[in-house]
Amino acid sequence: MTATPDNSATEGEPIADEILAAVSDYLDGALAAERRTEVEQKLASDPDWKRAHAELAETRDALSGLQKARAPGSFNEDVTSTIHQRSAGRFFGRRTLGDRVPFGVLLVVALVILIPIAYLMWSSSTGSLRHEAEPSGDGSGRGSQHLIPKP
Amino acid sequence: MSELERTLLRRLRDRDERAFRELLELHRDRVYNITFRMLGNRAEAEDVAQEVFISVFKTVDQFREESKFSTWLYRVAVNHCKNRIKYLARRHDRDRDELDENSHQANGAAVGVPVRAAQPDRALEGAQMERLLQEAIGNLDDDHRIVVVLRDIEDLSIEEICEITGLPDGTVKSRLHRARLALRKKLQRHV
Repeated sequence: MTATPDNSATEGEPIADEILAAVSDYLDGALAAERRTEVEQKLASDPDWKRAHAELAETRDALSGLQKARAPGSFNEDVTSTIHQRSAGRFFGRRTLGDRVPFGVLLVVALVILIPIAYLMWSSSTGSLRHEAEPSGDGSGRGSQHLIPKP
Repeated sequence: MSELERTLLRRLRDRDERAFRELLELHRDRVYNITFRMLGNRAEAEDVAQEVFISVFKTVDQFREESKFSTWLYRVAVNHCKNRIKYLARRHDRDRDELDENSHQANGAAVGVPVRAAQPDRALEGAQMERLLQEAIGNLDDDHRIVVVLRDIEDLSIEEICEITGLPDGTVKSRLHRARLALRKKLQRHV
């Protein structure tokens, strides 16, 4: 990459990008010891390197000196109320069984319970889980004795 | 990850509202600062920061604890900012197209934004400098903006920025150089 001309008339010759890149790494503390020593020597002797260091350090200081923007006072309330609204109040709170236990496990448990019940119902002559009523000795059902009054 | 963070995460996974409020207290200003510096607009920044925390809360089960929680949180914040920047750019283009169309319909009536007069003598002072820098950051493309915000404003390490952005070390450094170079040029014009 080639150096681009600087628009500022007071800044003199543009600084090569490789110098700026090295100084940028130097400011980040991202250079190996040997390279760092080389850069320090350049900074001590070469005006272009000195200028690059001064300008980049100034830019970096200006950025780090920017005021820290703070979230508005109502931020916490706004976020939590948004969550409540979107989830119709269900999002917070203890999790339901479905959240805690995997769906597959719930399915297996349901099948283990439902299959025997279904088998009992299928094999029952009444079509339900109730026992068939015992027929009474005189041929009439137990219930009919209560239903038909004696003369 | 500290034991305190692990406990907080466990409670978050249990959808404990108090844990969520603690999380907000711990990270809201930093997340807001990132979104504000990325977007340059307080209303947008607040909206995006809210969405960041909602996303984090909804997807906290997906956090695998392979990195610091804050790294994951900032990654979510950066992704939300990138999406919002794209959305705003699309909306801006659409609005501009409509504006152009309207201006043509009005028989070429001039529609323009008045250019603010430069005030170089005061540019370095307080709010002016703040505005100038924010404007310069806003002129960077989003890839460069992300690294400069995370490194020079939030003071995160290069390693952490690599984790957040998923970029290799060299790419982060070169983007940082370019971003600083662009900012330096922008500032020199006003100083």
